[in-house]
Amino acid sequence: MNAPDRYERFVVPEGTKKVSYDRDTKIINAASFTIEREDHTVGNVLRMQLHKDPNVLFAGYKLPHPLQYKILVRIHTTSQSSPMQAYNQAINDLDKELNHLKSVFEDEVRRHSRDF
Amino acid sequence: MEGISYQRFPKVKIREMKDDYLKFELRETDASMANALRRVMLAEVPTLAIDLVEIEVNSTVLNDEFIAHRLGLIPLTSDRAMSMRFSRDCDACDGDGQCEFCSVEFTLNVRCTSDHTLDVTSTDLRSSDPTICCPVDVAARATAALDPNSAYDPSEQRGIIIVKLRRGQELRLRAIARKGIGKDHAKWSPAATVTFMYEPEIHINEDLMETLTLEEKRSWVESSPTKVFEIDPNTQQVVVVDPEAYTYDDEVIKKAEAMGKPGLVDINAKEDSFIFTVESTGAIKASQLVINAIEILRQKLDAVRLSLDTEECDEQFGELGAHLRGSAV
Repeated sequence: MNAPDRYERFVVPEGTKKVSYDRDTKIINAASFTIEREDHTVGNVLRMQLHKDPNVLFAGYKLPHPLQYKILVRIHTTSQSSPMQAYNQAINDLDKELNHLKSVFEDEVRRHSRDF
Repeated sequence: MEGISYQRFPKVKIREMKDDYLKFELRETDASMANALRRVMLAEVPTLAIDLVEIEVNSTVLNDEFIAHRLGLIPLTSDRAMSMRFSRDCDACDGDGQCEFCSVEFTLNVRCTSDHTLDVTSTDLRSSDPTICCPVDVAARATAALDPNSAYDPSEQRGIIIVKLRRGQELRLRAIARKGIGKDHAKWSPAATVTFMYEPEIHINEDLMETLTLEEKRSWVESSPTKVFEIDPNTQQVVVVDPEAYTYDDEVIKKAEAMGKPGLVDINAKEDSFIFTVESTGAIKASQLVINAIEILRQKLDAVRLSLDTEECDEQFGELGAHLRGSAV
């Protein structure tokens, strides 16, 4: 009767931001990003991409509670970069990788359906 | 700083492709990407499924809810689902989910008048637009009818049974199919199974292997629960016949140690190559499922980009930030 709507797991409620940014108060170049209504799918792929950046000293994500539909991504960078820059860079690189993957996959499907 | 990119360029090779089955290799990327794709295919690629049922007459042995649930689980052809709207954010129908942009209507009207048990199946569902959306088995029959060389045998296919009727029982209803995702309810999941494995690299230490007698070789080959190795009948050498049959069970490694020959075989998982198998429910083609998953993951990442006002908000700290970073010259 009082069950929450199922869509609450993936629809960002009105008035809340998809991504919010919290600068660390004690460590410079450290920040955490709260991403609403996302889970391991985005969290893990983002974390692994951040690890590729040599300016990122630390990158990690957590799902604080299975019934809170949000993840926290924490980034600590060198003075050469900033958490926000690293975050944007990671998303841009993943975006390009997926665009590449999509065109490669479509070509392969076309090639395969022609040959067989 | 701009212009530096840590982008990867993955490679794909398809091994086997059928409408509802796909096996392919994904190389030069990492497990997080492979797993993200797997998760998106299972839970976030949209399809259509019956979501609202208005029952007019139900004198069958199953209650209304039970029938509504069974109708929901019937896979429907969903090639158009990617371009359709979710009924909760459809402007054309105030979220009622009853317009052409976000829904397809079905009717079902069956009455048993004979002494034989009558099966009510997915073939009894009448779609308001069969070209857009109909039960997958009905669609398969329609395509097979157009192709004379097809191996499809309609006499073997009797549709998906919804309920069985006795004489005098009747089922009459109206159902609305809507777009949804597997995260909401598993009935919307387009994937039956999606798996990936690391590609194994198997190296046999030939010198050490030659110190084994044929009998020892045979017992070592037999120790693997799956058929990975074989003895060549001509040369009596142990050869790898199917590296992918290896289940990372370590049995052959333990066996080699037990035989006093550690290092007989070296098995590594290649951490950047994956073998995917994708099985579809039939709602969308397996190859299209992968393409849609890539697109959805890309859209998800686009959605988590920082909004401009968050960046501007940080700019206010710019001076302080620059000062803290010690880069204010």
